[in-house]
Amino acid sequence: MHREAVIEVSKFARLTFVWVGIIFGAVWAACWLVGIALPTWIDQTFQPPAVALAWSNTLRVIVPLVAVMVFIPINAMFMVLAERRALALFTVRKGPNRVGPDGLLQTAADAVKLLFKEDITPRGADALMFTLAPIVFFAPSIIGVIPLLAAATNNHGLFAVANLPTGIFYVLAVSSIPVVGIVMGGWASNDKYSLVGGLRSAAQAISYEIPLVLAVITICLMAGTLDVVKIANQQAAVPIGDQAVPAGLLGWNIFGGGALVQAVSALQAGAPDAAFRLVAAVLLALCTVLLFLIYITGACAEVNRIPFDLPEAESELVSGYNTEYSGIKFAIFFLAEFTNLFVVSTIAVVLFLGGGHGPFPGFDEAAAAQIERVLHELSGPIGWLFNSLIDGPTLVAALWVIIKAYSLVIFAILVRATLPRFRIDQLMDFGWKRLIPLSLILLIAVTFLRELV
Amino acid sequence: MATDLLKTSGLKTDEMIINMGPQHPATHGVLRLLLTLDGEFVKHCEPVIGHLHRAQEWQGQNRTWFQYQALIDRVDYLSGMFTSWAMARAAEKLDGMNIPLRAEYMRVMVSEMNRITSHLLWLGTYLIDLGAMFGFPFYPFREREKLLDLFEAIAGQRMMFNYIRIGGVMREAPAGWFAKLKQFTQEFPDRIDEYEAIVTKNPIFLKRTKGVGILKKELAMEYGITGPCLRGSGVNHDLRKFRPYSVYDQLTFAVPVSAGDGDTWDRYMCRIKEMRQSNEIIKQCMEKIPGGTSEELRERRKECNSCGKEDCQHCGGDLKLLAKKQNAGLRIKAGEAFDAVESPRGILGCYIISDGSDKAYRFKWRNPSFTNLSILPELLVGHPIADIMAIFGSIDVILPDVDR
Repeated sequence: MHREAVIEVSKFARLTFVWVGIIFGAVWAACWLVGIALPTWIDQTFQPPAVALAWSNTLRVIVPLVAVMVFIPINAMFMVLAERRALALFTVRKGPNRVGPDGLLQTAADAVKLLFKEDITPRGADALMFTLAPIVFFAPSIIGVIPLLAAATNNHGLFAVANLPTGIFYVLAVSSIPVVGIVMGGWASNDKYSLVGGLRSAAQAISYEIPLVLAVITICLMAGTLDVVKIANQQAAVPIGDQAVPAGLLGWNIFGGGALVQAVSALQAGAPDAAFRLVAAVLLALCTVLLFLIYITGACAEVNRIPFDLPEAESELVSGYNTEYSGIKFAIFFLAEFTNLFVVSTIAVVLFLGGGHGPFPGFDEAAAAQIERVLHELSGPIGWLFNSLIDGPTLVAALWVIIKAYSLVIFAILVRATLPRFRIDQLMDFGWKRLIPLSLILLIAVTFLRELV
Repeated sequence: MATDLLKTSGLKTDEMIINMGPQHPATHGVLRLLLTLDGEFVKHCEPVIGHLHRAQEWQGQNRTWFQYQALIDRVDYLSGMFTSWAMARAAEKLDGMNIPLRAEYMRVMVSEMNRITSHLLWLGTYLIDLGAMFGFPFYPFREREKLLDLFEAIAGQRMMFNYIRIGGVMREAPAGWFAKLKQFTQEFPDRIDEYEAIVTKNPIFLKRTKGVGILKKELAMEYGITGPCLRGSGVNHDLRKFRPYSVYDQLTFAVPVSAGDGDTWDRYMCRIKEMRQSNEIIKQCMEKIPGGTSEELRERRKECNSCGKEDCQHCGGDLKLLAKKQNAGLRIKAGEAFDAVESPRGILGCYIISDGSDKAYRFKWRNPSFTNLSILPELLVGHPIADIMAIFGSIDVILPDVDR
């Protein structure tokens, strides 16, 4: 029994490595092609230079979009497979292991199957709305990822264009659109179960967006900015006096954004109010941990994961808002659901878990330097192939973001493997009577504590 | 409720009629619930049954006793041992047979094992009903598999056993069977502790089950509810204690009766405790069974070379397995008889009229699921949609058992 479990876990780890490799490789190849190779070729080939430059710059600007368009489908494929395999692990089963080596290609096969399936519009359905609903549901998850790219790649030149000074505000605004798609789909299906599912979804999304946004606002308040890159980078080092000290794990916003380090250094320096500041820092760290939990809860509800998957509650509403969908439209709903899960995980990583910075102070720089050295040893066309797009810090940051984001995804899967579903009235009670007051209290508490540290 | 609020404020609301089932992921087979909803709340509920009607009683009248024994496991496919046993008991009563003691002990053992598998499957599916969709349900199935393997070893089949026959049980257990069962009974209480650790104290589970679907004692008795549903409502009624049949009067076990008000959580706890008691019964049976384990019995039978004589001390008397020869010409004396056993779902009775030929003249089943299902409209009215499955799952209905 124990041995079998070890084998299954190692298979799961191998599968994850292969898929992350595929994701990285595909995104890198697409970005290199659109951002480096094609513009360089245009610049060198076409005359006059001004026109060529206009074309090549256009290509360079759309790199973030290309990266996202390549990333999302492959990532969703991996996440579906990972979810099924991880759930199998948690529930003493095997999971899909027949298509490709170890079931590696299962979701690719599923995607092909869904694409070739007949696209049915039920009788009496509003065809236009029925078709628009998956698009309205999916589009925000694409445009919502883009500002996060800069934070995830350590503000790499090609992705910095996508960064917004009000990035987090934009992401939150966009992430509340999908619910419109769900309600549209539920209503247009001409099915009572879908309708109830859609309405439930609206009620749930509205209730749980409030604590979620309050948690995010509190973090922005601590950071003093809405810029995701700045929020991520602030967590790498803690300002003590007039120098920035790398703090690793303790610098992350989930542990009070470096307040603990500052308080301890004040204690060492023998400041008169040091003990008081330490208490405030510990309280602040507690508050931020709670904020993180609130964010995770709100995010679970926002992306309709168990225990908040009421819009598609299978034992009650058959499949909720997507009961009547099949083929490509269903695939888009499915894709968007998993992308949304990844997006909320990435936001949590950027806001709370240090973005692209690792938990060990000094480790990132060493790793980046090592990667740089290896890259610089490559010469000729291969060297150009790699060096033109990747640099050490970018790769390290992207890896950290992806590791942390997938850890949160695995956590969501674990929750799904454990908990039953809430009832709708209990869900509302929990949202309005517990989470919202708590997040409001935390907002005020963090405001004061941050000043006291 | 929210709808009352809307009405007092002068808004016009409409009722919605919705068909839950027969094609619905959570109606456990093919039950159709005709629901009248006021918002999310049930105003009226009408169960429509009969989608699985297979004329089981008619089949019993048109097949020989020997043939029909193989079919009755399908009446309640999760507790086939009990359906076989109920019919066997009724026929034996009519025929005036004396069942060998070893066969009686084997019957108690396999049927208590079957009670455990049935409750385990109920536990898994009930959690699915509550939305623990892919997670926990498979852990009960892990233990259930072990018991099904044992069933397969002894009866040749995992669910449709055809093991308990008129006059005894069909086969001796294979070598090693008792040892495996013993090992199972030793580790099973720990497994129940595991389920309890993850389910019984889970706050979401408690919220979904406490105070939901309250079945009052008087109402339960009025409707003729039996089994864990009745005991969950606080009525101490179990055929095994109340009118001990077989060898149950020689075994010590408790009948778990809830002290609560009969909500779904009480019914859940009743079943969990019943599994523990069944485990104890199996343990006692393995100690008390005449002839000991199958290996010991085999050793003893070598001494008399399996002579098969009635008075042989190694293979006759108490150590036999069948009191009546099993062949196509199996006949039961004319007359009529009713007998019942306590199945995992309640009292399962069989009424037989025989005219002395190789076929029954009339069959009638008293199925616990059918009776228990009748309470559903009483329990559902006033509850939201989400509770329908929490309540329906908690009364543990098997649709083939309802429709026969």
